[in-house]
Amino acid sequence: MATMLFDIYRYDPEQGGKPFMQRFELDNIDPGMMLRDALIRIKAEQDETLTFRHSCGEGVCGSDAININGTNGLGCITPLSELKQPVKVRPVPGMPVIRDLVVDMQQFYHHYREVKPYLIRHEPEQEVEFLQSPEERDKLDGLYECILCGCCTTACPSFWWNPDKFRGPAALLQAWRFLADSRDQNTAERLEELEGPYKLFRCHTIMNCANVCPKGLNPTKAIGLIKQLMLKRQI
Amino acid sequence: MSSHHLSGLTAWLVQRLSAVYMALFVVAMTAVVVSHPGYDYASWRALFAQPLVAVTTSIFFISLLLHIWVGIRDIILDYVGGSPSMRLLLLSLLGVWLIAMGIWIVRIMLRVMLI
Repeated sequence: MATMLFDIYRYDPEQGGKPFMQRFELDNIDPGMMLRDALIRIKAEQDETLTFRHSCGEGVCGSDAININGTNGLGCITPLSELKQPVKVRPVPGMPVIRDLVVDMQQFYHHYREVKPYLIRHEPEQEVEFLQSPEERDKLDGLYECILCGCCTTACPSFWWNPDKFRGPAALLQAWRFLADSRDQNTAERLEELEGPYKLFRCHTIMNCANVCPKGLNPTKAIGLIKQLMLKRQI
Repeated sequence: MSSHHLSGLTAWLVQRLSAVYMALFVVAMTAVVVSHPGYDYASWRALFAQPLVAVTTSIFFISLLLHIWVGIRDIILDYVGGSPSMRLLLLSLLGVWLIAMGIWIVRIMLRVMLI
């Protein structure tokens, strides 16, 4: 069976020292093996100190967002057969590294919370379900599937430049998900919250977000629709 | 509309509208210049003395200054992340420079239009 080379980013602040790339060689690579499988085997067979997040292993939980040969993606759904060697594995960029491939996602979650990612009603709660027509429900396709892995936001130069002020593509996709929801009644407040030069308008349509999204979603398009809705309500 | 509003959506809209206007103006102006070969100084001044040309040219320069303001402001907001006072200083310098350019353009346009 085939052998593959991996250069993996290592950093342990508790040990001091600078981050460095460590070379690993892994044999018995099966066809169809994913990058996450290789990381698990390297940890089990070669270096148990190698630290990375992972959980479901099938691109649903969004835990193992990493930078693979320069592009963000999920380790669990990236086949090794598609990767150029040596496979360079780094933590997602623009986030503080806690250790090896594990980053501090606090800033990311902060922006997510700030867009109030839940339905807000101004009318009194009704006793029965809020019904949606199939057409209204269709508007949420391409929005609700986000798994909050952070691939998009950490690939966004606007987020690297203003991580504390720009909401980032993931949070803005969710902002639009609730603006687009026929059951939500908080449109004016949501749009008002996103006004100003930073939270929404740092987006320069670079489109790294749509490029890297492992679920094939398009935050750039959602951001454009938010701007359109803002414009419609201003004039 | 508060200044809060002017900073996001309006800047974005001004950038797009000014871009469209400038693109149309440049195409139209190129067509005018190409269709009259052999401009000399007198005919060049006569061209800009026409009210339509003078007004559209003035709007072009207003668009240009607004477009520069939004574009350079974007660059400053993107790249001068850490220090609000540095951003303020650079934005002020940009504002002063654009106002100076504006006054200079008004002077030129008035001289061209009035004679």
